[in-house]
Amino acid sequence: MSETAATATAASDDAEPTVVVEAVSKHYTVGSRVTALDGVSLTLPTGSYTAIMGPSGSGKSSLLNLIGGLDTPSSGHVAVDGKPVSTASEDERAAIRGTDIGFVFQTFNLMPRLTAVENVALPLVFDGWSRTERLDRATDRLEAVGLANRTDHVPSELSGGQRQRVAIARALAPDPALILADEPTGNVDTDTGATVLDIFDELHAAGNTILLVTHERHVAERADQIVHITDGEIGSIEATGEA
Amino acid sequence: MDGREGLRIAVRSVRAHKLRSALTVVGIVIGIASVITFATFGASVQAEIIGDIGDSNAGNIYVFGTPSDDEGFDRVLQPVFTEADLAAISEIDGVTAVLPRGSIQVSSIRAGNQTLARSQVTATTPESITTGSIVAGRSFTSGEREVVVNERLATGFSKNLTAGSTLTLRYPDGEERPVTVTGVVNGTRGELPVSNFARQPRLFAPVDPFYEAVVESPSAGVRQRAYPQVTVVTDPRQTAETRKAIEDYLADDADARQLSASDTELVARSGSDFIDEISDVIERITRFVTGIGVISLVVGAIGIANVMLVSVTERTREIGIMKAVGARNRDIMSIFVIEAALLGTLGSLLGVPLGLLVGRGAAAYADVTFALAPDWIALAVGVGVVVGIVAGLYPAWRAARIDPIDALRHE
Ligand SMILES: Nc1ncnc2c1ncn2[C@@H]1O[C@H](COP(=O)(O)OP(=O)(O)OP(=O)(O)O)[C@@H](O)[C@H]1O
Ligand SMILES: [Mg+2]
Repeated sequence: MSETAATATAASDDAEPTVVVEAVSKHYTVGSRVTALDGVSLTLPTGSYTAIMGPSGSGKSSLLNLIGGLDTPSSGHVAVDGKPVSTASEDERAAIRGTDIGFVFQTFNLMPRLTAVENVALPLVFDGWSRTERLDRATDRLEAVGLANRTDHVPSELSGGQRQRVAIARALAPDPALILADEPTGNVDTDTGATVLDIFDELHAAGNTILLVTHERHVAERADQIVHITDGEIGSIEATGEA
Repeated sequence: MDGREGLRIAVRSVRAHKLRSALTVVGIVIGIASVITFATFGASVQAEIIGDIGDSNAGNIYVFGTPSDDEGFDRVLQPVFTEADLAAISEIDGVTAVLPRGSIQVSSIRAGNQTLARSQVTATTPESITTGSIVAGRSFTSGEREVVVNERLATGFSKNLTAGSTLTLRYPDGEERPVTVTGVVNGTRGELPVSNFARQPRLFAPVDPFYEAVVESPSAGVRQRAYPQVTVVTDPRQTAETRKAIEDYLADDADARQLSASDTELVARSGSDFIDEISDVIERITRFVTGIGVISLVVGAIGIANVMLVSVTERTREIGIMKAVGARNRDIMSIFVIEAALLGTLGSLLGVPLGLLVGRGAAAYADVTFALAPDWIALAVGVGVVVGIVAGLYPAWRAARIDPIDALRHE
């Protein structure tokens, strides 16, 4: 049932989908063998906005990490923007993370000693941009998330919501093909969470492909479709009213 | 990744831990400073001595007696080279001049109502004062109560001495006698290379009538003047052969041999012997200090490695962040290597001026002109950087291998 739904979504789009996940499994061996993901297949068309929901420990973060090239699957295949993430070398995966994917984490994960603008520019450092070019781009992205007046603050001088907006600006810096967000509203208050979700809506409207993990139903409903995961398997894919 | 960004990250990290960074580089600072100290001090001493010997003294052979065992080192030089020895040496092939040098015991020198104690008064022959070394006036005349002074002595009184000035010499027995200054010199022929000529007030007087040390010459059978040291000026083209001949003479026929204690060795040294001997001492000290420096550098390197390992652990999460946004392993590696190199560079940048300062103090203490050793300074800075890099390699490699997911989960 789930397979059909995923394929149906892909078929509705003629262009090559941004994310293709084929029969991906992930096992960890810590004493006994833990199966985090078990034969997951998923296709995200370009410009789609997808939420993943599921109980704690169901494999949401694991799936996101595999798609984002932070980890490699035990079996199966992952491609992002046509690039084979799962079979790429370590350096190639680093390059994919830096240029094709923008991560937004629950805990922000900003560099503590870099200013907001330098944090946003960080992916471009590893992509070989010149300092002026990357600071221009970073300033631009900070303006887009409403932080033009906080460019030279270090993270400790920013509120939680501001930090998360810096993190979003950083994810956007390289013009990625895909934005991955793991519980981006998990560490901010409701109002700030709403602001963050508004930004995601804008990004979606601008044509970005977004994959977001959340526990909260009202957050997931902002997406086009909700993928439900239980025990490392996709249970169902639910189209929301907005789609 | 562009290296300047790596440097910027390293600078921030070092600045964030100022005290820790400072303590870390102490080993490097000490290592570099000790090497620099002795490199500059050694260079200063060497420059001074080589400068003293100079080209004009290249053919000089210095003849004197020295105790063959080290214990008698402080024994005063005895007047053993008689006029007969001088005459014999001057007959040797290749000898162009024989310049006796004796010291005259004077307790003070007075000009007008000003007295200068502790001046060295040397008795020698007019041949020792060459025209080229006369700054003002003329040389003294044998048989007259005339003297020449060096520039240091000439300017040692409130009124500078010139040709025609009168000085009063006070002898240890209390007697005072006037002398006339006939000239000012900036050096003498036959000066010992270690005499430190320009720095000490010096006065030169003719052997006749000033020098009074007399002994009975075994060969001539009469009482005659004898000197503790003789400088033989030779034809530079055959200095080596001439020296051999002088040594042979000293070993067998010389009055000096018979007049000296049996454990006294009579030596004929060339200027280059002095350079070699002193260079040898300096080299030994330098090697010793370099050893200390190397040990400090090793300790310093371990210190840097240790702090870098701590830093890697502390910054695990940052490493995860950088990897998540596209840093390759070699980018992480270079960030940490740059930081370690920065610590090493800081160490040497602090160590070099410290070393120069101490070296300068040592040069001042030893009364030699301070001379820089630029090669050593460049080398020291290079060594500091290299030590930093080497010390940083392993921690950086550890950092590069950190798994990004584990790192991001790290508290
Ligand atoms: N590095 C690891 N080593 C061993 N087991 C792991 C590792 N990472 C994840 N797991 C296991 O894999 C399973 C899925 O973990 P994952 O982090 O993907 O869950 P999640 O759905 O994101 O949960 P949550 O909502 O709590 O974040 C869990 O059972 C977890 O214990
Ligand atoms: Mg999770």
